[in-house]
Amino acid sequence: MTDQKIIELINSSLIEEFELETEKMTPEATIYEDLGLDSLDIVDMVVVLENAFRFKIREEDGIRDIRTLGDIHRFVIGKKQSLEKKGD
Amino acid sequence: MTYDTVVVGGGVSGLTSALILARHGRRVAVVEKAAKPASLIGGFERGGIYFDSAFHYAGGLGNGDILDLFFHYLGIDRLLRKVPLDQNKFDIFRDSASGWEFSFPCGIAALQEALCEAVPHEARGIQSYFVCLAAAFRQLPYLNPGTPEVTWNPVEAVHGPSLAEVLRRFIRDPRLGHLLSLHTLLHGVSPQEIPFSIHAGVVLPFYRSPCRIAGGGRALAAAFSAQIQAAGISLIQGRSAEKLVLSASGHLQGLKLADGESLACRECVVSIHPRRFLALAPQGALRPAYRNRLMGLEDTSSGYILFLHGLAPPPILAGSNLYLGFSGQGMAEALSSLERRPLFVAGGAFHADSAQTGHGWSVICPASWLEMEGEWASAGFPRSDSYRAAKEEVSGRIFQRLAHEAPEIVQGARLIEAATPLTLRNHCGGPRGGIYGVRQAVGQYNPQPATRIPNVYLCGQATAAPGVLGAMVSAFLTCGHILGDDRLRREIMA
Ligand SMILES: Cc1cc2nc3c(=O)[nH]c(=O)nc-3n(C[C@H](O)[C@H](O)[C@H](O)COP(=O)(O)OP(=O)(O)OC[C@H]3O[C@@H](n4cnc5c(N)ncnc54)[C@H](O)[C@@H]3O)c2cc1C
Repeated sequence: MTDQKIIELINSSLIEEFELETEKMTPEATIYEDLGLDSLDIVDMVVVLENAFRFKIREEDGIRDIRTLGDIHRFVIGKKQSLEKKGD
Repeated sequence: MTYDTVVVGGGVSGLTSALILARHGRRVAVVEKAAKPASLIGGFERGGIYFDSAFHYAGGLGNGDILDLFFHYLGIDRLLRKVPLDQNKFDIFRDSASGWEFSFPCGIAALQEALCEAVPHEARGIQSYFVCLAAAFRQLPYLNPGTPEVTWNPVEAVHGPSLAEVLRRFIRDPRLGHLLSLHTLLHGVSPQEIPFSIHAGVVLPFYRSPCRIAGGGRALAAAFSAQIQAAGISLIQGRSAEKLVLSASGHLQGLKLADGESLACRECVVSIHPRRFLALAPQGALRPAYRNRLMGLEDTSSGYILFLHGLAPPPILAGSNLYLGFSGQGMAEALSSLERRPLFVAGGAFHADSAQTGHGWSVICPASWLEMEGEWASAGFPRSDSYRAAKEEVSGRIFQRLAHEAPEIVQGARLIEAATPLTLRNHCGGPRGGIYGVRQAVGQYNPQPATRIPNVYLCGQATAAPGVLGAMVSAFLTCGHILGDDRLRREIMA
């Protein structure tokens, strides 16, 4: 899966699952202020990403440090890369 | 009239929540679908013989232990008589192949000693395992109200380790691993999947002080009912909750019942299966992410249950329960064939006044909803002939096993009734007949008390832990969320 495809899948999943507006989905968008999610939503977001990408996210992966949509993109791309390496 | 709180579901978790909130001055109503509160644990009668249904024994009921403190807090302790199990053997494991037995004595120290005696070369591992178990237990909310605030992060349990991982660290002998996994039957999740901390929360109180209640689940249900009445809580029974009523701005206004009547309220505690909660929420009130997450929650294992009757209860069950199984086989993730599954024989709440009618006891065999596949799963009443034939066949096979592996359990006994995952689905409220509702499992994110609808909260086994103790902890967690955890904890200890 290319990075672009990953980003598209992240955005479309979040738009659908959190009923977000497509125009707001810029990498700079902050998940709390711009996208309007709150701390209660974070677990839901983890489950959405886990289901979309078929991996498990652990606390130590640094999910708590995520602030922007771009952070989510980088997080998932990094996670996929490290899983692929392990798979080699 | 406007209620401060309406509780949906009058099981152990809902009734506990109602009592806690009423004690804090709230005007509370409980809406219960069944004709009586606590109907799940209340047992049933067949031909004048009483059978326990969903309560056989509990851990932590010794004087001053955690469930005892909860009962006292709720005022139901005065209405119940605890019956401690045999100090030397509250549970007996018997190997179905060799007949080898291990007796679980009450108390952590005694149990450790007995395990070391049975498997001497593992003494150090046993020691370390129990240290780990106690440490995991200390982290759990409300199970240690006497110790200062623990910061409980529910997500930690989701990330494991599992029981199997911890066992691998300390234990080599598969027989020993099996004994330490035996009580996974009390939460319905395999050692590979159950978070170790949740396992600790369930088994430690059983190891410490296991008890029955005189009169069984029926007596527990009656004690709850009496306290609900004494607390001035409105009990709206035999009626179902249908929809939460929200204002245009999404604020809770009340609860609509299936018969059309509405109850005005400021707050709602929903104690039913989280999937059923989704049906209560108006369209658009919950986002797809949350809905899908709740829809994806898996239940604990289901089961077949045989209800047996005899004039005298089997002596082995007088102060003990009996677990049958194959120790070499371990407690596997997937269910094996019916002939290889563990069986749990629960002594009933035998009382003197049943001398004339005889006594009832039951045998539980874990099962999967998948065994109810196809036409049966969607069938209503009357049940189809093929379902009834299959139920009879399964009961017959379990009965046969007992005749070989534990003849004293079936000698002179008659099979009065049987339950399947389909029966359990109807009684336990889970879509797949899970004995303990939604399971706690590594990798599964269970819901928290707060929902996305302001002033609407969840409680029940899914939000905390399985069993009567778990259901009560869930009520304390949810009410602690509303009233303040520190306050509740201090009150429990007072
Ligand atoms: C076979 C079996 C054996 C068990 N043995 C033990 C044991 O030995 N020890 C132990 O500690 N635990 C045992 N348990 C578990 C124990 O019974 C449960 O932990 C406990 O009863 C769960 O309580 P609850 O309040 O969470 O759920 P429930 O009792 O299921 O409460 C939910 C209530 O909501 C009602 N309801 C559902 N939908 C609606 C609606 N729309 N409107 C109004 N009301 C509604 C239901 O009728 C039900 O009364 C056993 C369970 C089973 C099935």
